[in-house]
Amino acid sequence: MKNPLVFIKIILSVLVFLLMLLPFVPLILTSMSFGWQWPAILPELISFRAWDYVLFGSSGTWQAVGVSLLIALIVTAVNVLLAVPAANALVRNSFRGKWLMEAIIFAPIIIPPFVAVMGIHLTFLKLGLTETVIGVVLAHISPTLPYMVRAIMISYQTLSIDWEDQARMLGAGPISRFTLVVLPHLLPGIVAGASLSILISLSQYLITFIIGSGQVVTLSILLFPFISGGDPAIASAYSLLFAGMAIMTLLGLDVLLKKYYQQKSRDTLG
Amino acid sequence: MWQKNKPYLLLLPAIGTIVLLFFGGLFDGFLKSLGYFPALGQTDFNITAYRQLFSSSEFWASFNLTFRVAFLSSVFAAVLGAALAISLFMLKESTNGKSSSIWHRLFQLPLTIPHLVGGYIIVLLFMQSGFLSRIATNLGFIDTIAEFPVLVNDSFGWGIILTYAWKEAPFISLMIYPVLSRIHQSWRDVSRIFGANRWNYIREIVVPVMMPAWTIATFIVFVFTFSAFEVPFLLGVTYPSTLPVYSYQLYTSGTLADRPEALAVNIILASFTVLLGLVVYAINKRWNAVKGWD
Repeated sequence: MKNPLVFIKIILSVLVFLLMLLPFVPLILTSMSFGWQWPAILPELISFRAWDYVLFGSSGTWQAVGVSLLIALIVTAVNVLLAVPAANALVRNSFRGKWLMEAIIFAPIIIPPFVAVMGIHLTFLKLGLTETVIGVVLAHISPTLPYMVRAIMISYQTLSIDWEDQARMLGAGPISRFTLVVLPHLLPGIVAGASLSILISLSQYLITFIIGSGQVVTLSILLFPFISGGDPAIASAYSLLFAGMAIMTLLGLDVLLKKYYQQKSRDTLG
Repeated sequence: MWQKNKPYLLLLPAIGTIVLLFFGGLFDGFLKSLGYFPALGQTDFNITAYRQLFSSSEFWASFNLTFRVAFLSSVFAAVLGAALAISLFMLKESTNGKSSSIWHRLFQLPLTIPHLVGGYIIVLLFMQSGFLSRIATNLGFIDTIAEFPVLVNDSFGWGIILTYAWKEAPFISLMIYPVLSRIHQSWRDVSRIFGANRWNYIREIVVPVMMPAWTIATFIVFVFTFSAFEVPFLLGVTYPSTLPVYSYQLYTSGTLADRPEALAVNIILASFTVLLGLVVYAINKRWNAVKGWD
């Protein structure tokens, strides 16, 4: 306790080991195991059978990855289009009924979205939206949109209207004011919102299953039967692939944002 | 005219979408929970589904389980998340902001893991023939599989609680850390002048500052676990099942007669979360009013 820094670092290291590393050990080992008998700590035989099946054997994997990403990206794009004007209105104006508008937009955080999806299921069926990607996209919007609005609102709070007025005085029209002043400032918020929106969309199972009726096969739908009592090795390999996909998508967004800023600072310097 | 209506017009697309897809769905579900199925020629309203639910022991068993699981998950996640955030904050204070960002990233890992995968990780770790059971056997704590406690697919819900405590603790710490970073270094110095040690400082300054954000984060975790489907479906038992799983079982049971009941479960679930939300909102508003910041 004499040196608190060492003490804190020890606590954090123990937490990292227990919470971040240990949980993944059995997942990785199981994905490479073949007939792993209890109580051996390591599998007797290392086999890449499950990985071979997941990556090359079953054609469904890459298609499911594609469908999952396609849905997540469309949902996110729609969310950005809906959320930017909404966040602008909520941050920069005070008007009658504002609390009601906020309550409506943030309601899906409190009220579980599957309640609404189960309710609308038969109507979607009548409209021919079940078993389609569009139907699933529509179902994913309400659980994700509130987070996108929230993230962009935070960016808007630090964007003074003076900047736009200044651009207006310099002769910028509404479009160039938006693309040159507002959008660059909102970008970190949009990226944060997009990360959340993608993550939430990727991990939806129940909503996708109800509206997609098992015909729209995302990675969660493909994974589910394996982890609820299928081959543990294949289930583990799919789980790692799924987790990896989520992490890679987020890292990708992060890298893109950094690249954008590098490019920008180079432009201003040169 | 334009200036006055501008905010409404800007909000129209987002509000319209949520009203149509979300509130439309809720309303649709509500009508059907009252037995209104025009497609089946049923156009009268009745509360049979609700009456049946409230008198069935299965519903109450499910309600109790859901409440217990959500309560324990959010409490464990809240404690663990606060410990994480305070440790990270202390680390930042001691090193003047250097080297804490790597720790931050490490601890956000469980947040990015999809829930299904998180649940499966807990299965592999905690099932009776799982990884911890193997370690316990090799260390000589237990001799047979049966000696390891049943923590997955148990009727108490430990597996679900463990999953959410693990997955949501980083969320809680992410929500309270920004609030903690508003505490100035000078406050620590002032507290030291008044003779406060590290522990006094945490109890008297750090905890009160993070309280509003902490309650909100814990409440979000509670509501989320209360209405989550995937993890309870994977790690729970068929009876009693949590409310969302119960609703799903009724909805997919095959007979259309069960559907109003499934939708009634959903409406009860939604009303309960809204009620809780209002309570937490009211409490928090009073806190912020007392403190003078939000």
